[in-house]
Amino acid sequence: MSADATALVQPKEEWRKRLLLDPRPAEEMNHMVLKAMTTFGWRYWVVVGILALLALIGLGGAWGYQVLVGMGVAGIRRPVFWGVYIANFVFWIGISHSGTFISAILRVFKAEFRRPITRASELMTTFALIVAGMYPLIHLGRTWRFYWMIPYPNQRQLWPNFHSPLMWDMIAIFTYLIGSTLYLYLPLIPDLAMARDHARGWRHRLYRFLALGWRGTEAEWHHLKRAITIFAFAIIPVMFSVHTIVSWDFGMTMVPGWHSTIFGPYFVAGAIFSGVSAVVTVLLIVRKTMKLDYFLREEHFDALGKLVLVFSFVWTYFFFADYLTEWYGGEAVAKELLTLQARGPVAPLWYLMLTTNILIPWFTLWNKRIRTSPPALFLITLGVNVGMYLERYIIVAGYLTRNRLPFDWGAYNPSPVELLISLGSLSTFVLLYAVASRLIPLVPVWEVQEGQFVHSLRRVGRILVPSVSELE
Amino acid sequence: MSEREHRWTMVIDLDRCTGCQACVVACSVENNIPVVGEDEVRMGRAMHWIRIERYWEGEYPNVRARFIPVICQQCERAPCEPVCPVFATYHSEVEHVNIQVYNRCIGTRYCANNCPYIARVFNWFDPQFPEPLNEQLNPDVTVRRRGIMEKCTFCIQRIRRAEEMAEAERRPLGDGDVQPACVQSCPAEALVFGDVADPNSRVAKLVRSRRAFRLLEELGTEPNVIYLKGGEAHVG
Amino acid sequence: MEMLAKQDGSVIRLALLDDVDLAAENIVMLRELGVEDRDITVLSGIPYPEPVLGRPMTWERLPLIALSGAAVGFLIGVFLNAVTPLLYPIRVGGQPYIAIPPALVLTYEFTMMGLIVSTFLGVLWESTFPSFGPKYYHPRISEGYIGILFKAPKERLDEIVKMFHARGVQEIVEPEEWSL
Repeated sequence: MSADATALVQPKEEWRKRLLLDPRPAEEMNHMVLKAMTTFGWRYWVVVGILALLALIGLGGAWGYQVLVGMGVAGIRRPVFWGVYIANFVFWIGISHSGTFISAILRVFKAEFRRPITRASELMTTFALIVAGMYPLIHLGRTWRFYWMIPYPNQRQLWPNFHSPLMWDMIAIFTYLIGSTLYLYLPLIPDLAMARDHARGWRHRLYRFLALGWRGTEAEWHHLKRAITIFAFAIIPVMFSVHTIVSWDFGMTMVPGWHSTIFGPYFVAGAIFSGVSAVVTVLLIVRKTMKLDYFLREEHFDALGKLVLVFSFVWTYFFFADYLTEWYGGEAVAKELLTLQARGPVAPLWYLMLTTNILIPWFTLWNKRIRTSPPALFLITLGVNVGMYLERYIIVAGYLTRNRLPFDWGAYNPSPVELLISLGSLSTFVLLYAVASRLIPLVPVWEVQEGQFVHSLRRVGRILVPSVSELE
Repeated sequence: MSEREHRWTMVIDLDRCTGCQACVVACSVENNIPVVGEDEVRMGRAMHWIRIERYWEGEYPNVRARFIPVICQQCERAPCEPVCPVFATYHSEVEHVNIQVYNRCIGTRYCANNCPYIARVFNWFDPQFPEPLNEQLNPDVTVRRRGIMEKCTFCIQRIRRAEEMAEAERRPLGDGDVQPACVQSCPAEALVFGDVADPNSRVAKLVRSRRAFRLLEELGTEPNVIYLKGGEAHVG
Repeated sequence: MEMLAKQDGSVIRLALLDDVDLAAENIVMLRELGVEDRDITVLSGIPYPEPVLGRPMTWERLPLIALSGAAVGFLIGVFLNAVTPLLYPIRVGGQPYIAIPPALVLTYEFTMMGLIVSTFLGVLWESTFPSFGPKYYHPRISEGYIGILFKAPKERLDEIVKMFHARGVQEIVEPEEWSL
């Protein structure tokens, strides 16, 4: 391009706001990521200390007490045999859909804004699944006998009952946990090699071990890229199946309100809704505390904000479809469930859910200024997860208070033990994330660099526009 | 033991039930059901395997009480069975009874949620039998520890014992040889137990009554507990 | 290539470049000077598909490994659903011992589990991971440099280095073996 031609077509200033059009030397980028990993302020240790204490109280103390004394220390009672433990379980499984959605689906469809945020959201998937996986154990009356659900030839000569949705649940979650952990790990290998090349001491030994001897040869890259593609395609249906099966724990029963054919997609939509919102919440915290402003920019929050809005629509659609079907159903007990939500004890929770999941996103997220305002987005996405939690709570603990024999209607309030365990598991999640954020590169550096390599400004007439070269 | 297939059935005559709760007490004694105390009962954690449901009919002052004793309905197509991941509850194809195997139960409580009759109770704590209740524990029935689901068994231990007695005396099992504790103790004779596979038994005749119906029949669970209702009963 | 190096009188050098077009040109040059493709290894911090650098495609069996894993998973699923219920038959809820609708769910999950696990093991197998060296490497690879690792006969080395210099590539080093 001649000198006077470039003078005519100056790149628009806003392109420089895009990460993939604002390349920096690889060395500098590595340094930014490594510095974020190795910077510990006193606040970090205070937060980690408090989280560890809460996790210990909740999971060591409260759960230990429950195992030793009995499930009676929880607030559940007839006919509400499932309470916040199952609501928490569904909630955390929902959060775990964030990573896979952001990472796998956006990767398959080559959505370029995904590049800097995949790792941070995949990490959420893995840790949320670990926390979710604890809940069926916490919830068991005889936790110490959990292994009776594992299919292996045993001395009792008894195999598990594969008719039970709980068995599907266990196998599906296990598959998803393995899948999402490996899917987190594979793209991490080149970044671990990068960290290995720069670290000293125990960190060097750790990264050396985890990088498996990565050098970046053509064959290594080829196999890795191929595997990531296979994983991306394989894990999407697994993700859908996991939350579908969680919903089938409810859908396969005769419980009024639960026995619904729409529960599968309804729960999947809710899971992605809450998962993507949680990604936004976490990324905002990560950006603020780890100073990753170079990588996490307005454009990413703008795009994620649109996703949250879209999934608010999708969730609302399924919610309404389910509600309307119940409303027309005419069964006496179904009417009771609707009354329970509209005017009964769970009504405040129900209206709050409608506010945070529908009203607030619909009336705010269409606006780009709100989508790119960190405080506003933080509150909105946090609100979505409060609402999604309430949705699960109402479905589990609310619906069970009503049944076909009015004499047996009941009530349910979570007990302090249940609240402590819930707080403990939330702390465990944040703790795991806080520790991991200082152990592994939270931004997939090579993917960002690859993105910057394939992005360029191309001249079209008198303007320069971003364009992507597809190398494969 | 007789090889003949039994189809144990209980008939509950709602027109006779006075709501006296004698069956509840008898059942608790027979089946080593722990006493949980007032606070737990108020929370909804009473362990009784029979529950006398009381419904009011009419408007004050013309009110009458209706009592429905509800026990495990021993469904042929029990919703509680397929949802258990460890086969702790299953269908006995010989006795046509819904079996609960305490030792297999890991306490998911899925069965209890899925029972439309809310017939199942859970051991929220280890059972307590304060003096002198420990003196009257039934040696034929195991005591269940915490974290285990339980429910009415049709006094399966009594069925077994009656079968063994009949075999020892080399005679067929007669109608009325098996009496669950609740049936034995009902002063109004509202409860009748027997084998409908024997066409001459009392229950076989009663289930053919025009007053017979099954609880929540529309769910298709095919209970083996038959209710009778239709006559006039003035109580309260 | 690395094993043979010292015996047959050839030498190994690592050229470090920071431009992909330059790398592609120099690989053509190496080939013209008689260095065969199998004696060249490209190391890079971001993936460049083989055609970008004009290199032969890597041979791989990963999709095959993945499919075999899926088949094994499927068979495990079939075994659990179709065989184990008959080992200790228990009737639940009036359902048949072997029921196809519930079996589909678990067979699907086991198939996917087999696919996922075997894909991962396949990557390790195909890339011979883990292998912690010592191997030729340079830490600047992870700083965005493209490393062309090549083996050439001793007598041609001067010519090759001259050609590299002519194309503006200054850094041609004797690579160190790193414990990775």
